Amino acid sequence: MDIQSLLQTLQDTAIATLIRESDSGFPALESIHVIGIALVLGTIAVVDLRLLGVAAHRPGALRLIKELLPFTWLAFVTCVVTGVLMFMANATTYAENPMFLGKMGLLALAGLNMAIFHLGAFRRIHEWDTSLPPPTQARIAGFSSLALWTGVIFLGRWIAFV
Amino acid sequence: MSAEFIAWLYASSLSTTIRDMLWVVPTVQSVHIIAIAAMFGSAVISDLRLAGVLAVDRPAREVIGRYYPWMRNALLVLLATGLIMIIGEPDRVLVNSTFWLKMALVLGAFSVAWSIRRPLLKPVAGAAPSEAIHPGIKVLAWLSIGLWCVVIFCGRWIAYSI
Repeated sequence: MDIQSLLQTLQDTAIATLIRESDSGFPALESIHVIGIALVLGTIAVVDLRLLGVAAHRPGALRLIKELLPFTWLAFVTCVVTGVLMFMANATTYAENPMFLGKMGLLALAGLNMAIFHLGAFRRIHEWDTSLPPPTQARIAGFSSLALWTGVIFLGRWIAFV
Repeated sequence: MSAEFIAWLYASSLSTTIRDMLWVVPTVQSVHIIAIAAMFGSAVISDLRLAGVLAVDRPAREVIGRYYPWMRNALLVLLATGLIMIIGEPDRVLVNSTFWLKMALVLGAFSVAWSIRRPLLKPVAGAAPSEAIHPGIKVLAWLSIGLWCVVIFCGRWIAYSI
């Protein structure tokens, strides 16, 4: 099955059709998506700012990360579930939308940035847990994360305008 | 909101410019969403502290004090970007009952949020008082989170309740 027919199949599923044809389905998914976005960016920003040397509500970076990341993940899963459902409702159209494709690209880069941090500076966090400013690698990770997630939000909003 | 005022605002050069420069509305909306993340993220972290769920090892006073300026400043950005959107499309926004419901809820949500934070933001003379949080505060903290969620739903629904 090629991509185009796969997208069409997704779009023709009962759930996708239900969302597309209901009055409140899409707005409800969007609203939950926004709540998820706010919590992903909101909690990630607290950690990223800490990586940049801006104090949070506790001095230790490791404990802060362990405390907030579960909320970030829960919010992210919410965004993925609502996002997939919205995508399915108009799969063929979104797949051709440059803003949507760009947003997916930035999401992948945000994930890569997180992976690099967790395999790099995070492994040695006991050395810099309460140091201000944190080491350069951590600061680069924090700045990149903020920039990428801001980009994700901008492209996400622009999907509807192109 | 009289029809004459809306017509006058719509015809103004500021309103016309906002509509003619096609990048303004999506960009302002994106900034609005970033500010939602800052405000809702700060609100949820500090409300969850008041509810006894998060960072219970940190004094409530410190958590509230750390995030309140972000909440307040983000709210100012929300009002400013909101104002630009109102000026740009007064015919769509000011006649919309969902918009007015949202404004009433923003007032309500901020009143609740302010009422539970104000005692903890006041400077204390001498030794810090005991940190036991009245059970009523926990209820209000959860109510506050719920109200902000309804505000977000209303915000998205404005576009659908023409």
